[in-house]
Amino acid sequence: MRQIILLFSLLLVASLVLTACPGPPAPVDAPDTAADSARTDADAEKIIYIGGAVSETGKYAREGQDTRQGYGVWLDWVNNEYGGIKIANHRYKVELVMYDDEGDPDTTARLVERLINEDRVDFLLGPYSSTLTQSASAIAEKYGKIMIEGNGAAETLFERGFQNLFAVLTPAGNYTQSALQMLAAKGAKTVVIAYEDTAFPTSVAEGAQRWAAEYGLELLGVETYPKDVADVSGIISKFKRLEADVFIGGGHFNDAVLFIRAAKELDFNPKAMVITVGPSNPKLVAEVGVDAEYIIGPTQWEASMNYADEYFGSASDYAARYREMWDESPTYQAAESTATALALHLAIEEANSLDTDAVREALRNLDVVTFYGPIDFDETGKNASKPMGAIQIQGGEILVVAPGNAAVADLLYPAPAWKDR
Amino acid sequence: MDQFLQALVSGLLLGGFYAVMALGLSVIWGVMGVINLAHGEFLMIGAYMAWGLFRFFGLDPFASLLLILPLMFLVGYLLQIILINRIVERPYLMALLVTFGVSIALANTFKILFTSDPRNVPVVYNGSMQLVGITFPIVKTIIFFVALLSMICLQIFLQRSRLGKSIRATAQNKNAARIVGVDINRVYAITAGLCIALTAAAGAMISPTQAIFPFMGPPFTLKAFTITALGGLGRIPGALLGGIILGITEILVSTYVQGIGTNLGIVTSFALLVLILVLRPQGLLGGLRPLDAEAE
Repeated sequence: MRQIILLFSLLLVASLVLTACPGPPAPVDAPDTAADSARTDADAEKIIYIGGAVSETGKYAREGQDTRQGYGVWLDWVNNEYGGIKIANHRYKVELVMYDDEGDPDTTARLVERLINEDRVDFLLGPYSSTLTQSASAIAEKYGKIMIEGNGAAETLFERGFQNLFAVLTPAGNYTQSALQMLAAKGAKTVVIAYEDTAFPTSVAEGAQRWAAEYGLELLGVETYPKDVADVSGIISKFKRLEADVFIGGGHFNDAVLFIRAAKELDFNPKAMVITVGPSNPKLVAEVGVDAEYIIGPTQWEASMNYADEYFGSASDYAARYREMWDESPTYQAAESTATALALHLAIEEANSLDTDAVREALRNLDVVTFYGPIDFDETGKNASKPMGAIQIQGGEILVVAPGNAAVADLLYPAPAWKDR
Repeated sequence: MDQFLQALVSGLLLGGFYAVMALGLSVIWGVMGVINLAHGEFLMIGAYMAWGLFRFFGLDPFASLLLILPLMFLVGYLLQIILINRIVERPYLMALLVTFGVSIALANTFKILFTSDPRNVPVVYNGSMQLVGITFPIVKTIIFFVALLSMICLQIFLQRSRLGKSIRATAQNKNAARIVGVDINRVYAITAGLCIALTAAAGAMISPTQAIFPFMGPPFTLKAFTITALGGLGRIPGALLGGIILGITEILVSTYVQGIGTNLGIVTSFALLVLILVLRPQGLLGGLRPLDAEAE
């Protein structure tokens, strides 16, 4: 009997902790019932409803906040400054319906279903991370709703033949391209890769292997690790023995901290560390301090890049607007979220209708340059036209070092050993 | 050989941290039969306290333990008196629900207070040290010895002191303890205080080694749970053994298996858990008390 009770309670706890129990979704800005009647009334103020489930809690809480704030910048601009989206001589105000997906793919799916069936949104905006985008876009596709996103970069998202998924960001496979090209030119010969075994880092790592081969870098080792990992000593001490020139870490923000700490703790001294997501965020330097020096990171966008459009102005104008509104500098995750909403906006105006087929056609034909860079979707929905940049942390600043035309500093290579810093 | 020794050292250091991290869950469970699902959140609170004291007062995370331990003892003591004493000796599900609620409330409160930005404590001595060809991470080595020291102190306290004896008596048989005049509720409150203080200390100590964020708790709860089941309920040597077995298994597998080592290490530790549950459900070193509701 006592074994049975113990086993039962073990199972119960394990299942509770494992699923981290997705509770009832916390609605944010959900439209009230009055909004429904407004939609049927032709003379009332015209409103376009756009919905999204974006992390407010869970593992992607930080990046989810950037995404929400990015959408928020566009929303504020389109309603208060631009005067609403133009369709057939009418101005449509936009209402954004947002939920918290808690970083859980099942919750994401449920919330997107709810956005489509209960909130009756016209279009969907993507969540943060490829994993959640994968789940959200499957529901959008099932109902034939257009979902445009700027935070799901894994190539696998676009290999499913979906008709309704569009992404403004450079796909994950190209993240390390400019960094590896530059490191190879500086004399790097060998590379090791560690990545989280979820959709986005996997795409980054596969792309990195492709680009390493392209630029003549020898691959010495590839390691995966699970989400929520708390210790990577095994990987780092293995890599230390391989003495590779370049370390590539594919993961999200928290993993960047873990890699930097583990490398220093185990005296692992590659000549360059390229880590996704973390380094381009000023918060990393603020928290990790001097140990973040010399770290290289891919970036979708930086305020110093020379892109501009007629809506938000130049990249640095956008950054100023963002700071004004949110009291912090925009990360590229925020900028690409704003660009996501802007691309949808431009396609709706181009289609001159809210009809899904017309807007889909307009998105396919869209070819513009924005503050975020060129947006031109290929037949799978990816934005194939935008190059990826690379930054390096130098003297506590995040400086663009590649591509050449956007660079504001030279790449420092090789990085000194930990004990010589 | 060097690689093997290095893996062993890394595993041992990780195991020492695992043990002190899991001990709080293990003892609360062993003594009052409450599975504390908010365990990882108390660790998170400890990490945030260390971060705050470092950032705003420049206090070293190990020095800040002197503040964190008494403060979190008080928190644990009050939490027990206000909340947990109402659900002790009730069905398991009650405790699970209440502590799960506490965990959600704490994680989200911290998200509101500190935002979800990941934090880290950049202490200056977080480098490495070479000794007979093996690299010792300085912070993790200190964690290991502090963990060992606190476990020895706790063990002596439980074995020798009058209060420690009444805690063990309560764990073994509540009714008998009541009959001989042990103030059970006070014993519970002190146990909870000790355990939560220790858990928060574990959190404070790892603050220099990884990212601190409001939702970091649940994976630690799960890990503590595994260690407790491995080693046996409420026993300090059990937690130490469970932690070290888990730490060494994870690091050895991740060092020697190419490509998927880190994943496989975690899989192996859970496979080990299933094996132990089947062969020795009371854990490797046996429990502090029989886990049989009807026996009481």
